[in-house]
Amino acid sequence: MKNKRFLIVAAVICLALVVAIMPLGSACAPKAKPGQVLKVGMTTPTTGAAAEKGSPMGHANLDAIEYVNAELGGAGGYPIEVSWLDSGYDAAKVATIVKRFMDEKCLVFTTASSAEMTWAMEIANRAEFPGLASFTAPSIYRPPKHIYGQMPDYGDDWTAFANYYLKNIWKGSGKPKMALHLLNNSTGYGARDAAKAMAEKLGIEIISTDEHTATTISEMESLTRIKTKNPDVLYISSTPKPTAVIIKNARDLGMFPGVTVGLGHASITKALVDIAGADIVEGVYGVFPTVNWGDNVPGMAKMTEYCQKLHSKDYGNMDYITSWAQSLIVAEILKLAVKNAGYDVLAKGDVESWRAIETQGIQKLKDFKVGGLHGPASYTVGDNRLSKSVRVFQIKKGAITPITDWVDAPMVKYEEFPWFGK
Amino acid sequence: MSLPCGTRDYTYDTDMAILRTRTHWVLLIGLLVFVFTLPLYLGNYWLGVSNLIGITLIAATGLNILIGYCGQLSIGHAGFIAVGAYTAAILTNRLELPFLVGLLCAGLTAGLIGLVFGIPSVRVKGFYLAITTIAAQFIIIWVINHWGITGGFVGIKVPYASIGGFVFKSEASQFYLITTIAILCTFLAKNLARTRVGRAFIAVRDNDLAAEVMGINLFYYKLLAFFIGCFLAGIAGSLLAHWVGFMNAEHFTLTESILYIGMIIIGGLGTTLGPILGVILIRLLQQVLMVQVVPFLESTFTALPAGFATGIAPMLFGLVIVLFLILEPRGLAHRWILLKSAYRLWPFSY
Repeated sequence: MKNKRFLIVAAVICLALVVAIMPLGSACAPKAKPGQVLKVGMTTPTTGAAAEKGSPMGHANLDAIEYVNAELGGAGGYPIEVSWLDSGYDAAKVATIVKRFMDEKCLVFTTASSAEMTWAMEIANRAEFPGLASFTAPSIYRPPKHIYGQMPDYGDDWTAFANYYLKNIWKGSGKPKMALHLLNNSTGYGARDAAKAMAEKLGIEIISTDEHTATTISEMESLTRIKTKNPDVLYISSTPKPTAVIIKNARDLGMFPGVTVGLGHASITKALVDIAGADIVEGVYGVFPTVNWGDNVPGMAKMTEYCQKLHSKDYGNMDYITSWAQSLIVAEILKLAVKNAGYDVLAKGDVESWRAIETQGIQKLKDFKVGGLHGPASYTVGDNRLSKSVRVFQIKKGAITPITDWVDAPMVKYEEFPWFGK
Repeated sequence: MSLPCGTRDYTYDTDMAILRTRTHWVLLIGLLVFVFTLPLYLGNYWLGVSNLIGITLIAATGLNILIGYCGQLSIGHAGFIAVGAYTAAILTNRLELPFLVGLLCAGLTAGLIGLVFGIPSVRVKGFYLAITTIAAQFIIIWVINHWGITGGFVGIKVPYASIGGFVFKSEASQFYLITTIAILCTFLAKNLARTRVGRAFIAVRDNDLAAEVMGINLFYYKLLAFFIGCFLAGIAGSLLAHWVGFMNAEHFTLTESILYIGMIIIGGLGTTLGPILGVILIRLLQQVLMVQVVPFLESTFTALPAGFATGIAPMLFGLVIVLFLILEPRGLAHRWILLKSAYRLWPFSY
């Protein structure tokens, strides 16, 4: 009898404890009330000169956020609301887009191209509005302010490729001779800056630096000039269309195969193979900061599922992976900021919220795996690149095939060079 | 200027005045009050759009003097704006000179560069002159990209505009600065058209041979039109540089130059009101398509091929411009005049 009474008392106490603890349990995972959202601004060049990259990137950004909201319960329990705008790759539009994002109380904004971020960065830096660019160049965050790079920049591509070339391809004596062919904006000049800073140290001779426009239709003249200098390597930092033109012209001139062709990450995408043709670009090397489609990484299955479901034509495009990963990083930043600063601070959508996003979100990123889709994202003081590693790829039978594991790209303090930005 | 029935001018001063009736004054003051109180109702985004409209208006007014009044076709206007922007950027960033010095020098430098590219106008006109001004666009941008002091392809930072210790940091303060200068430039353009110089410009535009026979120095007046048009482009460039805070040559594309011509044609060539209406229409159309139409299309027509829905926006933009040119080839300013006449005569048809 005594035991029975004891059991009843114990059961009542347990029940009372469970009832008392239940609210605490729900408090651990905050649940958003109706209307409580975390707002993010995203812009991509879905029309205009860079639409072949911007279009799949815009889709990936939005598809990933849909996945985060539908299957992960948003960021820290709050749904993410995206304000997406097409920049048209137009400087004046980008200037107004950033202001709109700030007006709409977005907590952070993203861009796809380094050019878009170049047009936006000063407005954002002045307001302390944090931004995250997929593709970046050193000029965007050197010296570091409020703009962050999702992945290594075009300069890091050059350094990684140069290292790989020296260790694995170069068999001659002395310094290999490299010719640079660069798009006439930050995409090309990121690589130029790295070459200026690192070529001497690595033991590479830069024999020429040529520029081309995004709309070039022939580079026979510049390549003929380059050919007379007998380069060992031709490095192109550009976008797919002009890269295809340059490689075709190099083939026509008999330079390639023969000269090693290396590409920065804005060049080596499925669009390049589609535009140039698989036989033309066969054997070309390139550096890219994400995995390839079909690789065995944890985040691949969901990304593939959403891509096939929502934008099946983008399947196989590596730019899609980049922007999908960008949205995952944004979600992680928001999650960390909710956890560390609280929703109330973020709800204001003002400069206080932006500071919280930076100090309690971005700068708290530590080894975030991004589903294995690219190198882990971490913040290091003084280095606004979040992911710092790339892989070298080669085009084999039309497929962009990885030939190395992740290679870390060291930080270069460009601002310490007197020529930087001049 | 046509006046309401019964209104007479009794002195030369009233005959020459821009605002000749009490209604004119009331409407102008009302408009100015509305414009200068915009920061009270608008957020930063719409103030930003207003600032972009103000800057574009200054440049378009310059182009209107060149094309609309003097008949000298220029397709390199964005290049001249770039000259102003980079002059201001270099003077205020690298040499740390005051904003007003940068602003004035931006106008003067762009004006002087305009003179250089305007010299062919003495020998060639029409499409031939257009081709020579396209050269200005390419040469200027090439120099900017390859000259170290401009920051090359990377670009150059530009500090906030400041006058006498007051820094124009907020969007609202920048709005007052840009709007004030835009109003002054419009006033200048309005008055210029009524002076001897303005009449000479119109004579050159309508028939340069006849103008020369009348004693108008073609060389002087054509180059003067280039100087004034490019001076205003330089002023616009300076304001753009301080507003955006960072300049690279991609702000000044050939497409922008062509868009400027589109704006003044749609607004109405050779009128002061034309550039105002054209600039407002085009800039607002761009924003509405970008902010409202594109996201709507992209989210609504998901079954369409990737990028198709978004691609409709530029098509719509082109269609609107084509329709304007077909339905109102003399520009919005002409439509406004018809509207005013109809209002005056109502209920009679003529």
